[in-house]
Order: sequence, then structure tokens, then C-alpha cells
Amino acid sequence: MAGAVLQARGIEKSYGPVKALRAVDFTLRGGEIHGLVGENGSGKSTLLKVLAGQLTADAGSVFLDDRAVRFTDPADAMAAGIATVTQETTLVPDLSVAENILLGPRKPRRWWGIDWRRTRQRAQEMLARLDLEIDPGVPAGSLRPEQQQMVEITRALSMDARVVILDEPTSSLPDDQVANLFEVVRALRDQGVAVAFVSHRFNEIFDLVDHVSVLRDGEMVGGGPVGEYDRARLVHQMIGRELEELSFEQRPAQDRDPVLRVRGFTLTGRIHGVDLSVERGQVVGLAGLVGSGRSTLLDGLFGLEPEALGSVEVDGAAGVAASPVAAMRRGFGYVPADRKRLGAVMDMSVRENLMMARTSQHSRIRRPQRARERDQCDRAIGDYRIVTPSADNAVKNLSGGNQQKVVLAKWVSTAPKVLLLDEPTRGVDVGAKAEIYKLLNKVKEEDVAILVSSSETAELQLLCDTILVMHRGRVAASLSREEATDARIAYYGMGHK
Amino acid sequence: MSAARSLQLARQFAARRYFAVLILLAALFAYFSVTQERFLTSGNIDALITGSSILWMVAIGLTFVMLTGGFDLSLGSLLAMSGIAMGTFMNSWGVPLGFAIVMTLAFGLLVGSLVNGVLIGWAQLPFLVVTLGTLTLYSGIVSLWSDQATEPVESDALTGLAFNHALGLPVPAWIMIGVFLFALFVQRSTYFGRDVYAVGGSVEAARLSGVRVRRTLIAVYGIAGMLAALAAVMQVARIGAASPQVGGQVIFSAAAAVLLGGTSFAGGIGGVGGTVFGVLLLGTLENGLSVSGVAPYWQQIITGIILVSVVALDRIQQGGFRPTMRRLMRTSRGSPTPATE
Repeated sequence: MAGAVLQARGIEKSYGPVKALRAVDFTLRGGEIHGLVGENGSGKSTLLKVLAGQLTADAGSVFLDDRAVRFTDPADAMAAGIATVTQETTLVPDLSVAENILLGPRKPRRWWGIDWRRTRQRAQEMLARLDLEIDPGVPAGSLRPEQQQMVEITRALSMDARVVILDEPTSSLPDDQVANLFEVVRALRDQGVAVAFVSHRFNEIFDLVDHVSVLRDGEMVGGGPVGEYDRARLVHQMIGRELEELSFEQRPAQDRDPVLRVRGFTLTGRIHGVDLSVERGQVVGLAGLVGSGRSTLLDGLFGLEPEALGSVEVDGAAGVAASPVAAMRRGFGYVPADRKRLGAVMDMSVRENLMMARTSQHSRIRRPQRARERDQCDRAIGDYRIVTPSADNAVKNLSGGNQQKVVLAKWVSTAPKVLLLDEPTRGVDVGAKAEIYKLLNKVKEEDVAILVSSSETAELQLLCDTILVMHRGRVAASLSREEATDARIAYYGMGHK
Repeated sequence: MSAARSLQLARQFAARRYFAVLILLAALFAYFSVTQERFLTSGNIDALITGSSILWMVAIGLTFVMLTGGFDLSLGSLLAMSGIAMGTFMNSWGVPLGFAIVMTLAFGLLVGSLVNGVLIGWAQLPFLVVTLGTLTLYSGIVSLWSDQATEPVESDALTGLAFNHALGLPVPAWIMIGVFLFALFVQRSTYFGRDVYAVGGSVEAARLSGVRVRRTLIAVYGIAGMLAALAAVMQVARIGAASPQVGGQVIFSAAAAVLLGGTSFAGGIGGVGGTVFGVLLLGTLENGLSVSGVAPYWQQIITGIILVSVVALDRIQQGGFRPTMRRLMRTSRGSPTPATE
């Protein structure tokens, strides 16, 4: 086996008061696929971003071929032969696929400038290596999300990099493309490239990687050749204990009118005739790949898609909300996935955020009642165990988990009949995650109907009474908690019938 | 109050974005007081305050717009147009002064909310394009309406509004204090004030929380229009005439005052409390330099330098300056910088 190509030693990184990485060592060797596993918030992405020059570590060093390097810019890392695919898309939507693949100075040139014909040709060859039928001439923004992800991967693989970092590249890919990707990654390994690979799917880890490292709460807690691991040992190292049976009382299906009844909900081209119903105190989950329409459906129910068609009944009253205000009047609350942009106003205080939804329909020239607000905020901060020095602290200074609790508390305080949640624990550390689950259980006991979308199957299996699996804007299957195994959810999520 | 609590309050105050401006204002004031004996006379201080009144109104209105993340280039020409409107109300229509003032304010409010407000808030057109368009449009209307002639507006009561004293202060100072306190109240103590910050902080998050973003924007451009009209009333009172020549540069000074006061172009941060310090700094600079007999263009040069320095200082305090500099100054992208150990 070849020696260490890229090495991190003693990496420390904090976000405000939160320690994301503590003295982490990590080594990538040439000709080896190195799997990095850990729960969300364990620091995987942070570590990979430090290696890729997207973040600067607070302490510790990165060595490339035993030479200390400090990348201050992703371009530095790229020039040093480190190619990265992250979960977030970095394609320029208005440029063509070919331009995206050969972004920057890598386009073939002739003396008068860029040689567009050869650029296109080169891009075509790269796409062919991955068996992709994508026209290199179309704008990247016009592709479906999973195609964009493949273009992103194509770009990373086209760089003739010595190190390839793949951070959850498969989360939105269909099975056959995952297989193509794995073939190419293995070929790269055989050429001596060092590969780092992150996935939440255990079967992919055991299928692809040679060596595995486990991160937990920012610390490297274990690692070794993948042969020394089985699933149970890996899970145990990831969560630091045996998988606790956090169980929620399941409501027996009751024979009464549901709070929320959706019939034939349609958004032209995106959501096709979705039917669903949620009873009082029931939790219904939405599973499915990224881009399957889960988030779009929630947006539509909350009035963010004015051209929505179909019937949405809340407690028997029918009508489709055309704006968030209309949706709130009908008893909806919405905890969106993008907390920083949509969930809360980051520069405003915890108090102002907590009060924002429930006071949004008051007369605007009225004066907020400070004393009453203070009481309500103190109670919410206590009930939800929001860790903040005071209610006047800006939300941006809180940890991700506490921010999420603020958003949740904001909506529960409006006494909604139906609470919509999109990825309620994304980017939240393990402890806060369990607390959010407990809070949701409390909300459920208050007879609120809950509709939750998540890409974490385990989360849905824990929370939900019924799980609907979505595929390309349709409900592909409706599974009870007992029926909803990982395999079944994946099967229907891929579009099998 | 305990010492620790006072210290904490002092720290909080020092962390305010306009703290540097306040220090600078005090230093300038002290400097002119010591070096120019004519500076600290009651006549000159009155002139300083009344001279700032027009900028004061426009800057406070602009603060609300900028807090929502927008901008209004048209306020200067709306000021001129409101002045001409007031001249028409009083001279051609014979409206008595009190009504004429109310009608002028209503004119500014309606034009601001129904043109800029509706186009930006309701139709969601980009604010720079819209207000650049209305800037030109209003200037054209002003020339057409006034025939490019300055028309005297004769009213003793109106002149009194600019030059009389009440309770030891010039009348414009009382109007300025009143407008400031009212703006501060609206900004800090109404739900509307919260909406303004929420829209500037994150339009989408505000909308999802049930904030009526469109109404908020329409109201904000209406307020800016009304305060531009109030500035027009003060202007007409000062020069005793409705002139098409006014308001040209005021929007740039107002933007400088708002930025100096700690409100950012991105919205969501700052407020009228800082803006008035920005206005007073610019007013003191103008007055002090003219008392010192320095040519007016020096005032522009110094204002420019102060504006850029204060914004740069703010960046340094937030820790975002050095990385930016490094990125800008590095000539060759590509080769990794070896770590210095």
C-alpha cells in the first residue's frame, strides 16, 4: 500500500462556543478508499472542509506528502490536486455542463482564447466515463437534482486529482448511478488516488471502502480496516452506546375525521395528485430521495406555491392557502429545512423570533407588551431548554440545535392544528436531536396533527405512526411503522412498484 | 447601579456600530470650539442645527428603507417635487399654510408609497432600477411643473417655522427632535418596527412567519416619501420660495449619514439612533469648515475619507477585513501557501 498522501494532525475547529473538532487525526493513503462515518453534527463535513481548504482550522496542521500546507482558499486545495464533491451544489446554473465540468482555467485553449469545441469534447468524454447521458451544451441549472450531482462528481473526477473527497455524493442518486459511481471510484483507487468517502448508508460503506474512521461529537473515536467492522460495532462507535430504544407511544388509528385531509394536491410538473390525511395527535412522515417532492409538498400546503390545485381540508374547512398568512389562519405552522434563511431571522433576538409568528396578525401600529412577552419567552426558553444567555441574544449566536428549538417554539406558540416540519434535525448535534424528538412528542400529546419530512429513515421510524414514501412528486407507498423497514423505504423511494 | 452593571452597559455601548462616529463627532466639535471662536456661539449652533434639518429628515426616512435592505435614490427629486407642490398649493390654489403643509406631507406619502412602494413591495421590481427611474421621472416633472423657475412663497408664519425660536431652541430643532423621537418609537416599540428589521434580516423567514412583507415595504417607501416632503416644507420655509434647484445631492449625503450611523446596505441592522449621529457629524463638518473659511470642496473630500474609514473600521471590528484584504492582494491564485511554523 502506498504512503500517506494527505494527512491531518490535531485539527481543532470551533463554531462560536460549539467545538466541532477536537484534536482530530486523519490520514488518506494513495490507492485506498477511506470511509468517514459518524452521526450528523459529528464533524465529518467540517473535517473534510478543512482538508479541502473551504474552512481554516483553529489549530493543527495539514500535510500533503509530508509537507505542511495551509490552504486559505478552495482554489489552493484544487491546485494542489484535491478535488471535492460536497452535499451542496456548487454548479453555476447559467453556465453549460461543459463549462461547469471544466470550470476556471482548465478549459483547453488556443492562442486566441478558449477552444470551445475541444472543451465540449473533453466534457463529453468525462461524462461517458460515468455512463451519463447528459448533453454538455445545456445549462447546468436545467438538469434534475440527481443529474446535477453527477455533473458535480464528473467535475471532481475530471481534475486528475491525487485526492478525491466525496461528502455524501450518493444521497440523491438512484441505484444504477450509484453503481456507476462506485466503479469509477474503484478505478481511481487502482490508479493510486486517495479517496475519502462519506455516506449514511451502511451497505455503501461496507461495499466500497477499504478503511473506515469513526467521528463522534468532534472526536475520532475509532477506525481500522473495514474487515474488522460489522454493522453493530460501527453503530456502537458512532453513537457511543448501544442503540437506545427511544420509543414513542403509537396512537391507534382512530375512527374519526382527520384534522388534515389532502385530496389530489397538484403542482404542475412537480407534485401529482397527492392524497394524505393526518389525525389529531398523529405523526405522518414523508420519506423519499432529495427532489422527490417532499419539501415542495410542505411548501405548497403552507401557501408558498400560489398555483397549487386540489383540496386541503383542515377540520372540515376546505380550501388551498395562497399565502403563508392564509395558511396560518387555517391553523398551519411550518418549520422549514433551511433554518438560517427561512426558519429564523438570524440577526434578531430570541424574543423577537419567538414572538414573530404569533404576533404577526396583530395591528402593526400596536405596541408589543414587554412584560407579557418576557414571561412568555422565559417560559418557552425553560420548556424547550433553549440555551441562551438571555432572550435578547441574537439567534445567530445560538448553536444549531438551540436555533431549531427557537423555530419550533415559535410555531408551537401559535397553537397550530397542523404542524409541518421539514428536516427537523438537520445540522443539529446528537443531544439536541433527542431533545427535539421529546418536544415533538409533547406537541403530539397536545393533539396537534404533525406532518414531518426527513431524509433520515431512522428519524421517521422513530417519530411516525405512518410513513408515506414519495417518488417524483407522487406518494409511492404508505407504510405503517411496522412495515417501514429501511429496505422497503429505499425500494419505494427509488421508484420501484 | 453597581459598578459591574455600569461597566457592562458601557461595553455594550462601545460595541454599537456608531460608537466611532460618536467619538469623531465629539472630537470635531471640541476641535472647532477651541480653534474657531465663532463656532461655539449660539447663533452658529442654531445655524448648524437648522442647516442639518433637511438632511436629518431625508436620512431618517432613508434609514427605514435601508433597514429593509432597500434604497431610495429618488428622495432628492421627490423633495424638489414636494416643494413645487407646496408652492402650487399655497400660491395657485390659495390653500392656507396649515393645510398646505398637511397636503404636502400627504403628497410625499402617497407618491412614495404608491409609486416606489407599490413597484418595489407589491410588484417586487428591483429597488435600484425603480428608484433610478423615479429619480429621473420626478426631476422631469419638477422642471415641467415649475417651468424651471423659482417661485416665491410669501408667508410670515412659514418663515417663522425656519427662523423663530421657541423655549430657547430654534423651531426646526423642535421639529427634528419630534420626528426623531417618533421614528425611534415606531422603530423600537411597534410591531411595524419589528417587521422592518425582520424583512431586512431575511425576507423569506419573515414571510414564512406571517409578516406581510409587501405592506411593510409599501409603508417604508411611504414614510421615506413623507419625510422627504417634510424636508421640502423646511426647505421652502428656509429660502422663502419653491425652487426646482433643490434636493440634488441630498440623497448621497443622507446615504453617508445612514451608513456612518451603522445601518448597513444589507438591511436588518442599525437604526435611526445611529443615523442622527451621522447627520450631526456631517452637519458639524460642513458648518465648522465653513466657519474656518475652508473651501467647500474640502468638505466633500473629508466626508468621503471619513465614510470609507468608518466602514473599514467597522469591518475590522467584525474580523472580516483581513481575509478580504488577503484575497484581494494575493496576485497568483493557485500555489498553496506553505504554513509558517
